[in-house]
Amino acid sequence: MKGKNRFGRRLSMALVFLFLYAPIFVLMVFSFNDSSSRTVWQGFTFDWYKELFQDSIILNSLYTTLLVALLSSAIATVAGTFAAIGFYNMKRRWRTPLLTINNIPMTNADIVTGVSMCLFFVAAFGAWNAFAQQFNADHVAQLPTLAMGFGTLLIAHITFNIPYVILSVSPKLRQMDKNLVEAAQDLGCTWMQAFFKVVLPEIKPGVVNGMLIAFTMSVDDFVISYFTAGPATSTLAMTIYGMTKKRISPKINAVSTLLFVTVLLLLVVVNVREVRQERAKKHPARQQEKNPRGKKFLLAGAAAAVILLLILSNQSDQRVVNVCGWGENIEPSLIEEFEKETGIKVNYQTAESNEAMYSKVVMGGSGYDVVVPSDYMVSQMRQEGLLAKLNFDNIPNYELIDDTYKNLSFDPDNQYAVPYTWGTLGIIYNTTMVDEPITSWSALFDPKYAGQVLMINNPRDAIGVALLYLGYSVNTHDEGEIQEAYELLRQAKAEGVYQSFVMDEVYDKMEAGEAAIAVYYAGDFLSMYDNNPDLAYVVPEEGSNWFVDAMCVLEDAAHKEEAEAWINFICQTQSCLANMDYIWYASPNGKALEEYPAYYKELYGEEMAPDLYEVMAAPADVLARCEAYDALPPEVNAIYKNLWTELGIKDG
Amino acid sequence: MAKELIRLVDCCMAFDDELVLDHINLYFNDSEFLTLLGPSGCGKTTTLRIIGGFTTPTSGEVLFDGVRMNDIPPHLRQVNTVFQRYALFPHLNVFENVAFGLRIPRTVEENGKKSKKKLPEKEIRQRVLEMLEIVSLKGFENRRISELSGGQQQRVAIARALVNRPKVLLLDEPLAALDLRLRKDMQSELKRIQQQLGITFIYVTHDQEEALAMSDTIVVMDQGKIQQIGTPEDIYNEPKNAFVADFIGESNILDGIMHQDYVVEFFNRKFKCLDKGFQPMEPVDVVIRPEDVDIVPVEKGQLRGTVTAVTFKGVHYDTIVDFKGFKWLIQTTDYHEVGKEIGIVLNPDDIHIMHKSQYSGMFGDYSSYSEEYDEINDPTYIEEEDGNLGGRGDEE
Repeated sequence: MKGKNRFGRRLSMALVFLFLYAPIFVLMVFSFNDSSSRTVWQGFTFDWYKELFQDSIILNSLYTTLLVALLSSAIATVAGTFAAIGFYNMKRRWRTPLLTINNIPMTNADIVTGVSMCLFFVAAFGAWNAFAQQFNADHVAQLPTLAMGFGTLLIAHITFNIPYVILSVSPKLRQMDKNLVEAAQDLGCTWMQAFFKVVLPEIKPGVVNGMLIAFTMSVDDFVISYFTAGPATSTLAMTIYGMTKKRISPKINAVSTLLFVTVLLLLVVVNVREVRQERAKKHPARQQEKNPRGKKFLLAGAAAAVILLLILSNQSDQRVVNVCGWGENIEPSLIEEFEKETGIKVNYQTAESNEAMYSKVVMGGSGYDVVVPSDYMVSQMRQEGLLAKLNFDNIPNYELIDDTYKNLSFDPDNQYAVPYTWGTLGIIYNTTMVDEPITSWSALFDPKYAGQVLMINNPRDAIGVALLYLGYSVNTHDEGEIQEAYELLRQAKAEGVYQSFVMDEVYDKMEAGEAAIAVYYAGDFLSMYDNNPDLAYVVPEEGSNWFVDAMCVLEDAAHKEEAEAWINFICQTQSCLANMDYIWYASPNGKALEEYPAYYKELYGEEMAPDLYEVMAAPADVLARCEAYDALPPEVNAIYKNLWTELGIKDG
Repeated sequence: MAKELIRLVDCCMAFDDELVLDHINLYFNDSEFLTLLGPSGCGKTTTLRIIGGFTTPTSGEVLFDGVRMNDIPPHLRQVNTVFQRYALFPHLNVFENVAFGLRIPRTVEENGKKSKKKLPEKEIRQRVLEMLEIVSLKGFENRRISELSGGQQQRVAIARALVNRPKVLLLDEPLAALDLRLRKDMQSELKRIQQQLGITFIYVTHDQEEALAMSDTIVVMDQGKIQQIGTPEDIYNEPKNAFVADFIGESNILDGIMHQDYVVEFFNRKFKCLDKGFQPMEPVDVVIRPEDVDIVPVEKGQLRGTVTAVTFKGVHYDTIVDFKGFKWLIQTTDYHEVGKEIGIVLNPDDIHIMHKSQYSGMFGDYSSYSEEYDEINDPTYIEEEDGNLGGRGDEE
C-alpha cells in the first residue's frame, strides 16, 4: 500500500515537471534542428544560432528587452521597496485601502493599462510639444520635443512592476520585529543606516524575489510594450509577435533557449551563493567581514550600465527613419548596409497584420515613416489621406521597377506607393496524398478530400477562392455572389472537408504530411518545400489573387527625406536580390527577377529548379489570370464579417 | 545628593485627542535604579520612549544635563534601550549584535574639525567580549540568535545596549516574556549589573513585585499621571491613594472618618492610628494590609466577621472574611475553615490613613476577589497596548 502511494506521488510529481518543462525542452531541441520545421527533425545544426547573431532586428529587440527589464526591475525594486516601507509605517485604516489600490493595476487587463498609458503619453506629449513649439518660437532657449520611445517604454515597465515589488516586500516587513529599526537607531544609526544595516538584510528575500518577478514580468510583457514603445523601439516579444504574419523563425527558438539558459544560470548562481552564505553563517569564525570587492564590482557594474545608457540615448542628432514592416520580411543585413551607406539609423519594427499596423497608425503617435501595407490596405490608407505623395526625385531607383507593377489599381497614378514584394495565392498539396495533380479550386470543396484540407483562416482569402471557383471577381460588391460563395464554403465545412481553418499552423501540418491540401501563399510554399519535397504548388486554372506589398510614406512622417532614401535603397537590384533570397517573395525589380536564378547559382553552387522559380515569380500567363484585391466598401466588408462569423470561425 | 541626569518638565502627550501623558514632571538621578510602574496604558512606556527619543512630547521639555533634547533623534542621545521583545538582529550572530553600536562611525570633533571615526577592530572585540562576560554569555559569540533561549536573548539585548557605555539604560518590560523562575534570576542579575557598572537604569514594568525587588525609586503611574514617587518601602507602607495601595501589594480599603490626630473611625468604631494632620472629621480612606491583621477568637476581637473563602498559598492562607457585607482579604498562617466566625485585632501601626481621591471606593473590596488576583499574578500576561503608543500606531 505504502509503496503504491509513494509511486503515485512520484508519478504525479513527474507529470507536473513534464508539463512544466517539456515545452521548453522541445523548444531547445528544435533550436538545433537543421530545418525550419517545428515538427520534423532533420539533423543537428548550429545554423539558427549563427543566423541569430547576424539578425540585427532580433538582436536589437533582445538588447532592448534586456535593458528595459534590467533598468525597470532595478528602479521598480528601489521605488517599490521604499513604497512598501511607507505603507508599513502607515496607520492601518489608511494602509488597507491604499494597498488595495496598489493591487488593482496587477489585476487590470494589460490591454487597458497599455492603451491608457499610450493615450496618456500621446496627450501629455502633444500638450508639451505644442507648448515647446510656442516657446521655441518666442525664445532663444530651445525646449526639446517629446515622442514615445525607449523612455516611455521604460516608464511603463517601471509602473507596472512597482506593485509586484510592493506585494513581495510587504509581507517580509510585516514579519520583521517592528522594534528593529528603533533598536538600530538607539544604537547610533541614522534612519538610512538602520535601513541598510538592519531592514534591508531582513527583507532581502522579498526584495530579491520582487526584483526577479519584475524582471520576468518585464521580459514577458507584450501588450503594454506594444502600446508604449513608440516607432523606434521594439522588444523581443513584439518582434516575435510581428513574425506571426509569416512563419516564426527558428531563430526565436535559439534566442529563447539562450534566454532560458541565461536565467537558469543566474538562478543557479544566486542559489549557490545563498547556500554558501548559510554555511558560512553556521561555521562562522569572523566571516562577517563583507566582501568589499563584491560591492565595488556591483557599483562598477551599475555605473557602467548608466554610462552605456547615456551613450545610447545620446543619439538625438542622428538622422533616423522609422520603418514598420512584417516579421521575417527583410534581409537584416540590408539595414546595416543602409545605415553604413547613408548614416541614417533605421528603427525597424514589425506588425503582425495590415489591420494591426493600420489601427496603430490611425490611433496617432505611431511615429512611423515607412509602412509596407498590402494592396487593398494601400488604397484604403490612400483614400483616408494617411499617405504622403512621394518625391520621386529622391527615389531614382523607382525606374528599376518593372512596368507590370506600376499603375496598379491601389495607386493608379504612381504617386503614393513603391512595390516591395509580390506573390500569388494558390493551392499547396502533397503529391503523395492525392491521385492526380490538382489544377482547380474544386479540390477545396470536394468531399473526396474530407478531413484532408486546410482552409485559410481569413475571410477575404477564403471567400475569395470560393468566388474564384464560381467564376466571380474577388472584388465583387454583389451580395448574392458573396452569399453564394459563402454557401459553398458552409456546405464543404458541413461535409467535413476541412480539417481546420489555419494560418500559421499550415507549415507544420503540411511539412509533416498531416493534411493533403492547403490554401496559402507562394513564398511560404517555398519554405515548406524546403522541409518536404513532396509538396507542390499550383495557381488554379480559375485564376487567383495576386498581391503586392508596397512601401509608402505616412502623411505625418517626421523623416520624409530619410524615408525616401530608404525606399530608394530597397529598390536597388542588389537589395532586391538579397531580399528575394531571404524571404522567397518575388521582387518587382525586373532586373532582379531576371537575375535571381544566376544569383542563386552563385550563392549555393547549384541550379535553381525552374518550376520553383516559377512559383516564386509567376510567369506572365499565370499573372494574367490573377486579380489583385481592391479595398472593399464598408458595407461589403460588413457582409464578409457577418458571413465569416456565421461560419463559426472567429476572424483572427 | 546624587547628580541629576534627566528631567521631564510638564510633559504632555496626546494621540488623536487622547491625553496619554498628563503634565509629567520627573527627574532621574545618576546611578539610580528607577522603575516606572503602572497598569497597561498608564503612560509608562510612552515616558520611556520620550526619553529614548522615539517620540516627541506634544508639549513640555526633555532636559539631559539641563539641555533641551526634545528634537534630538535617538542616535544622538547617550541613552540605550532594551526592548520588550529584545529586537535582536536575526541576520547577525551574538558577537555582531553586541558589536553593532560600536561599528557605527561616530562624528567626533577634534580641534573644531568634525570627522567620522570608527573604533579599531581590536577595541571592539575587547569591549564586546568584556560585555558578554558581564552578562554571563562568554563563549556564545558565534551563536546565531535563533539558537538562543529567551533568557540568553535577553542577555544579548542587555549587552548590546550596555556595550555603548550609555549614561542611562532604558528597559521596557524586559522580563515580561520569560517564565517565572528565569524572571527571578534575571531580576537579581539586572540589579547586579546595574550596581557593577554604576549607571542609571530606567525600568518599565507592570509587575509590582519586580518593581519592589529591584528599584531604588518607584514611580507609580496611572492614566497618564504620576500617582506617587518614593522608595519601595515608602510606596508600600505609605501609599498616597487607593490606586497605589491596591496596585502595590494587596490592600483592604475602607471608608473612615478622621476624628482628630491619631484617631480614626470605621465600622462605627474608633481605632488608634499613627497618622495626623487631617481636618477634624475629614472623610478618609483607611488601608489595612492583609498580612497585618491578627485573627483572634471572636470574643477577643475588635471586629468580628465570617470566613467565606480560603485559598492555600504555600507560606500562608488567603482568607476572605465578611465584615457586615464588606469582604476583607486576610493572610494568616493558621487555617480557618469556611463559615467560622472570627475576631480580629488591629494595632495602630497596622492602620494607614489616606486622603480621599478619585480612586476612593474603586479598590480594596475583595467581593470579586478571585479575578483580580489572577490577573496580577499571571506571569504570561504581557502588556501589549502600551508599546504601541509611539509613532507606529498599530500592530499586525
